[in-house]
Amino acid sequence: MSSSGISGRLSAGAYFCSVALLTLAGFALAMFVRPAFGHSMLQWMGLESVPQAEARSFYATRVSSLFETHCTSCHGEKRQKAGLRLDSYAALLRGSKHGAVIRPGDARNSELFIRINLPASDSRAMPPSGKTPLTPDDVTIIRLWIAQGASGVRRTIPGAPQPVPEVKIPEDAPALTEKLRAPLAAQVRRIQMEHPGILSYQSRNSAWLEVNASLQGAAFGDAQLQALAPLRARIVQVDISGTSVTDASAPFLAGMPALEVLRLGGSRITSAALAALERSNSLRSLTIGDIETSEDTLAPLRKKHIVIHGGADVR
Amino acid sequence: MSVEPPPTHVRVWDLPVRLFHWSIVLLIAVSWISADQGYMQIHLISGLTILALLLFRIAWGVLGSTTARFRDFLHPPGRIIGYLKGRDGNKWFAGHNPAGGLMVAALILILLTQVGTGLFANDGVRFRGPFALLVSEDTSTWLTEIHGLVFDLILLLIWCHIVAVGFYLLVKGHNLIAPMVTGKKRTEYVPPNSNLIFVRSYIALLLFAVSAGIAVWVMAQGGYAL
Repeated sequence: MSSSGISGRLSAGAYFCSVALLTLAGFALAMFVRPAFGHSMLQWMGLESVPQAEARSFYATRVSSLFETHCTSCHGEKRQKAGLRLDSYAALLRGSKHGAVIRPGDARNSELFIRINLPASDSRAMPPSGKTPLTPDDVTIIRLWIAQGASGVRRTIPGAPQPVPEVKIPEDAPALTEKLRAPLAAQVRRIQMEHPGILSYQSRNSAWLEVNASLQGAAFGDAQLQALAPLRARIVQVDISGTSVTDASAPFLAGMPALEVLRLGGSRITSAALAALERSNSLRSLTIGDIETSEDTLAPLRKKHIVIHGGADVR
Repeated sequence: MSVEPPPTHVRVWDLPVRLFHWSIVLLIAVSWISADQGYMQIHLISGLTILALLLFRIAWGVLGSTTARFRDFLHPPGRIIGYLKGRDGNKWFAGHNPAGGLMVAALILILLTQVGTGLFANDGVRFRGPFALLVSEDTSTWLTEIHGLVFDLILLLIWCHIVAVGFYLLVKGHNLIAPMVTGKKRTEYVPPNSNLIFVRSYIALLLFAVSAGIAVWVMAQGGYAL
């Protein structure tokens, strides 16, 4: 090899034109061998439209959340392992630096599906060990979505596992509960002192009241029941089974505006008083125990969609 | 009595400089491909070998042969701009010209940055650089991003380097590649009063052994073994 001796054969202009052409050819080659780079460049130059998924599409509602949970920490905005982003429909279709990761209509040969379907022991498995794995339902959702064309528009995919409904547990809001209980708090305390154990709030976060006098037996009668009058708007459940409450309290019970559950079995209330309960607009469940009554008496209650339990001798 | 003809070529590059140059070419390619294909153990070893070579080259830039020394090829900005504007006329340099010297310094600095950020980087899956656990995960992730961006800058510098070498070869008719292989330049392209001094290669070997030792120590800090 000679250390020099090659005489100048190109002008500077010709040389730099050649360099520019070769550089452009290099870019074109890179766009060809790296489709993700190619699509990015074309989309950046406005020569290719950016695919968008509709907000109510199956992709947006079922698929993207799986990628968000399991994939985007490595294939997202901050980090793009293998040049792959899974945080948008366009980026997903663009693929990685090695090419497309999904083949619409052909899940079995889609790199993304192959990777999520590998056993955890395989070093190419995704998500990698240490990350939260996809559930079988998650894998099925992705497989069906790709197999059905990887659409960004389609809203349903037949056979896709149904989403598990999200159960929202109400947050503990002691200040709000306290505020709701405040107007009747003094009366509630007074009755709880006079008749221990018969009155309680429905739950820790509720201002609704429940009355359970069933353990009081005959000591609990009409007078004791009607002493609850100041609280009647807040009572949702009354159990006077086995007490000495009589038909005289039936209008009082029927006039409780929030009462939903009433248990009368073993009290001194008779069939004649049941008709009065027809006036209640809130009652949903009525336990009559061994009260002898007739279908004619109960029919109006059933018509109001009150569920009736028991009844010793319904004729 | 016969008179020997004057030599046609003169030695300008010592073996360590040439080995450094072509090793770096090879290792950048290995590092690129290994990272691209996910062979992170190979990437780690090639990156740390680059670190050892850079440490050696810095030491050799102070203690090495004339054309390897920084003071031989680092020039003030005015001189570099003047050279690029052609103010040096047809002046030849035994080693790097002022523009080439700037390129060498830039590549050493950018490669040091690349190796340095790589030590703290992680691939988000299984691999961590030897020093990644010394910083927070956010810092490690940030340095990983820098590692990726700096690589684009390295590609840009390599492109500039190749374009410049091509310019010398195809426009000025001056082959810079052959001397970096053989170590020799044609006599007419070397100033007659160059007085080049060449340091013995075993000194280079000793310096490289120390540099390699540092790289192995760095590797061990991350729990990796050769």
